[in-house]
Amino acid sequence: MACGPSRDGFSRAVRPEKFASVVTTPGQPMLVATDVHRHFEGMRAVDGVSIEVPRGQITGLIGPNGAGKSTFLAVLAGTLPATSGTITFEGQDITSMPAYMRARRGLVRTFQLPSEFARLTVIENLLVAAQDNRGDSLFGALMGKRYWIADERRLVERARGLLSRFGMTAKESDYAGTMSGGQKRLIEIMRALMLKPRLLLLDEPMSGVHPKIVLEIQHYLEALRAEGLTILMVEHELHMVERLCDTVVVMAQGKVIGSGTMASLRRQREIVDAYLVG
Amino acid sequence: MDLYLEALGFGLVSMSVIAIAAVGFTMQFGITNMINLAYGEVMISSAYVAYYINRAGISIWIGMLAAAVFGAVFSFLLNRFVYAPFQAKGTSLIGMVIVSLAVSLMIANLLLPIVGYYSVSYENATGDLLHFGPIILTTNQIAIIGVALLLMLVIHGLLRYTRLGKAMRATAANPTLARNCGIPTRRVIDVVWLITGALCGMAGTVAAINSDSFAIANGASFLITVLAAAVLGGAGQPYGAMIGAVLIGVITELSAATWSPQYKEVVAFGILVLVMVLRPQGLLAKRGALAAAG
Amino acid sequence: MNTYYAANLLIYAGVDIIACLSLNLVFGVSGIVNFSFIVFQAVGAYTTAVLSLPPDSTSGYDFQHYIGGFNLPFPIPWIGGALAGGLLAIPVGFVVLRKLRSDYQAIALLVMSVIANTVITNADKFLNGAAGLALVPQPLSTQVDPSTDAYYYLYVGITAVAVVIVLIVANRIVNSPYGRSLRAMRERELAATAIGKNPVAMKMTVFIVGGVIAGLSGAILVGFIALWAPSVWLYPETIILFAAVIVGGKGNNIGAILGALLVPVGFEEVTRFIPPIGPVGLIPALQWVAIGLLIIGFLWFRPDGVRPESRRVFEGGPAREVR
Repeated sequence: MACGPSRDGFSRAVRPEKFASVVTTPGQPMLVATDVHRHFEGMRAVDGVSIEVPRGQITGLIGPNGAGKSTFLAVLAGTLPATSGTITFEGQDITSMPAYMRARRGLVRTFQLPSEFARLTVIENLLVAAQDNRGDSLFGALMGKRYWIADERRLVERARGLLSRFGMTAKESDYAGTMSGGQKRLIEIMRALMLKPRLLLLDEPMSGVHPKIVLEIQHYLEALRAEGLTILMVEHELHMVERLCDTVVVMAQGKVIGSGTMASLRRQREIVDAYLVG
Repeated sequence: MDLYLEALGFGLVSMSVIAIAAVGFTMQFGITNMINLAYGEVMISSAYVAYYINRAGISIWIGMLAAAVFGAVFSFLLNRFVYAPFQAKGTSLIGMVIVSLAVSLMIANLLLPIVGYYSVSYENATGDLLHFGPIILTTNQIAIIGVALLLMLVIHGLLRYTRLGKAMRATAANPTLARNCGIPTRRVIDVVWLITGALCGMAGTVAAINSDSFAIANGASFLITVLAAAVLGGAGQPYGAMIGAVLIGVITELSAATWSPQYKEVVAFGILVLVMVLRPQGLLAKRGALAAAG
Repeated sequence: MNTYYAANLLIYAGVDIIACLSLNLVFGVSGIVNFSFIVFQAVGAYTTAVLSLPPDSTSGYDFQHYIGGFNLPFPIPWIGGALAGGLLAIPVGFVVLRKLRSDYQAIALLVMSVIANTVITNADKFLNGAAGLALVPQPLSTQVDPSTDAYYYLYVGITAVAVVIVLIVANRIVNSPYGRSLRAMRERELAATAIGKNPVAMKMTVFIVGGVIAGLSGAILVGFIALWAPSVWLYPETIILFAAVIVGGKGNNIGAILGALLVPVGFEEVTRFIPPIGPVGLIPALQWVAIGLLIIGFLWFRPDGVRPESRRVFEGGPAREVR
């Protein structure tokens, strides 16, 4: 498939590339949350949640509206500070680590509402997420184009590979703000992948997306899992959760009320009651 | 000790002036979520309206009422034809700040050729000096305090006991919900701008009555002092604005008496910056102050 | 054409271009609404002045009171001025670049500039209060007589060099991966943190760089007009520069230059030709009204400015639909 680099240095080929990074200690859970609380203005959005996210799997986080799932995800990602409790990622305590540092270490989140960088092009949305660009610092910028152009070209290639894999090659130079809801969702996922994440926190990745694209996203997530990526996703659509998730954690009113496979959960009365919709 | 009491006396007058202005200002913010930086210029223009009426031989207190009408109409038009359209267009918070700054510049500079650079004063007898122990106040100043108290009561009554007041509070808290409940929010907003504009006009007049003289240049410092009181009390909270006015009034007069009269205004400005940076929601917190950068 | 007039025009243009490039970097690209911009220029000017002035006890200068007075030769005062601008950015940045809604932040900065101006006006011994500093020694004035045409050419040349340097720095930052990160932060800060960007560090960095450039602009200006007083740096001056960046087109350096040429420069020049009609001060007042109209007009009809931020396309990509 390789056609060789063209004169300007940007290869026209698309090389299949693994976008998830290699895991370290197999067997150990990737992320452990212990008695995490998030209280705000008298509301106990997260009220003592402890979970373990097993590596190399897709874990679902489900529950009725207002259960605190998105809040909990935000606390794991560092977007919101935990009121109390600890969070360990790859054995390291990240409870007081700011969000951007967690992202740099491979704990990456996406958002429920579209969060693309509207006035950047689609490919720029991806490029900006790359960690390994020499030009991404004041010093690098001041050194001039020659200093970082090699990194830039390499990253453009990588981004183009992602775009091709997710079927958005034609949109490369369009403003991300002009994309459809489903496309924006894909952009966010691709953007997260540029960071070479180890654990992807997805906040309702299917919401507001055309059913055809939902199926595509499902396939992409399965492929990523096959490459070793760990995923924790908040999702409402229970059929999707059933198809995709290896384990499921159920939350209600800020607490965990059960975990396991969907089948085992269905058998638990309290869970069905809390949820009502099967 | 006498020094402090005397300063307190001045503080009473200061806080009265500031309160009238700050309550109006904060209600504008509460109802439209925008910081009207042209408020100071509207105050000053209204003060000039009162001045011209006063020059024709009419009592300054009638002039104040005229200023109230002027302020009401001016503010209403400002919102209808400038602020609301820009907000409807989806202009960012920063865009609105820039718009209101531009408007304030325009008002000030349109007025300058008309009224001139030089300060003017009202022609009214300052009245007798009344002594309350070490506190010395003129009858005018007493009148100002009285006007302020009256207006505060009126506003309180309006907000608490009338349907309009309830509609105003609902619209300020959640405009979409209010609209869905059948409240004619557009009309409520118009009315709020009329009422607060009237307050603005009266505030400008009493501020001018209280000073020896005034000029266009005072508009900006009025604005910042009013802003300080409003933000200190909690932006959007009328009762907060009253509390903020009391505090700003007292603190600035005390600092002028004990430290330096030159820096009286700067003290208010400094309080504003400190509050904005350290506790932006002010004393009576309300949503919005701590919202992520918009 | 009178050499002094031409030099005046070119040097003011240069200073305004540099100022707009700084503001574009901080506001246009990074989204920091620095409504205290003029204070940074003032700090640069004052620092340059007190570094190049002799001590205030020197005869001929003793009608002024100021700190410093080290009588240093060019280019040290200019470097000092630029650095002062950068240093000022640190405390101001810490104070303001926190989680605050953007209009509060903008107003806090605006009020700080008013405070600074009032305080300096009243502090007579610090920087000579309201009267300001006069007889500031001009760069290289000992080598070349400042009243000659040759000096004007020299000064224009120095200004031009400064403009080129600033333009290179601004271009390198804006058109780099770092510039892209800054724009992402401007677009959606929360998402930027989610991809590993540290917004506080980035904003502070840009703020400092912007401060250095603003300080330099002050140094150049004070070196030419040889005086500096609070009346020169009132808060509306910041608004003119914001108008320039908005009109020219924010987010890109060409837009900033265009804005500088259209607004502060263009405006001054156009009104120069209007005869002084009406009462005294009518023309300057109408100038301000026009600036206000310009801002509102552009924000309504063309918020992206005369030259909007351009889309970046990478070579070797797919053919793009023309929009």
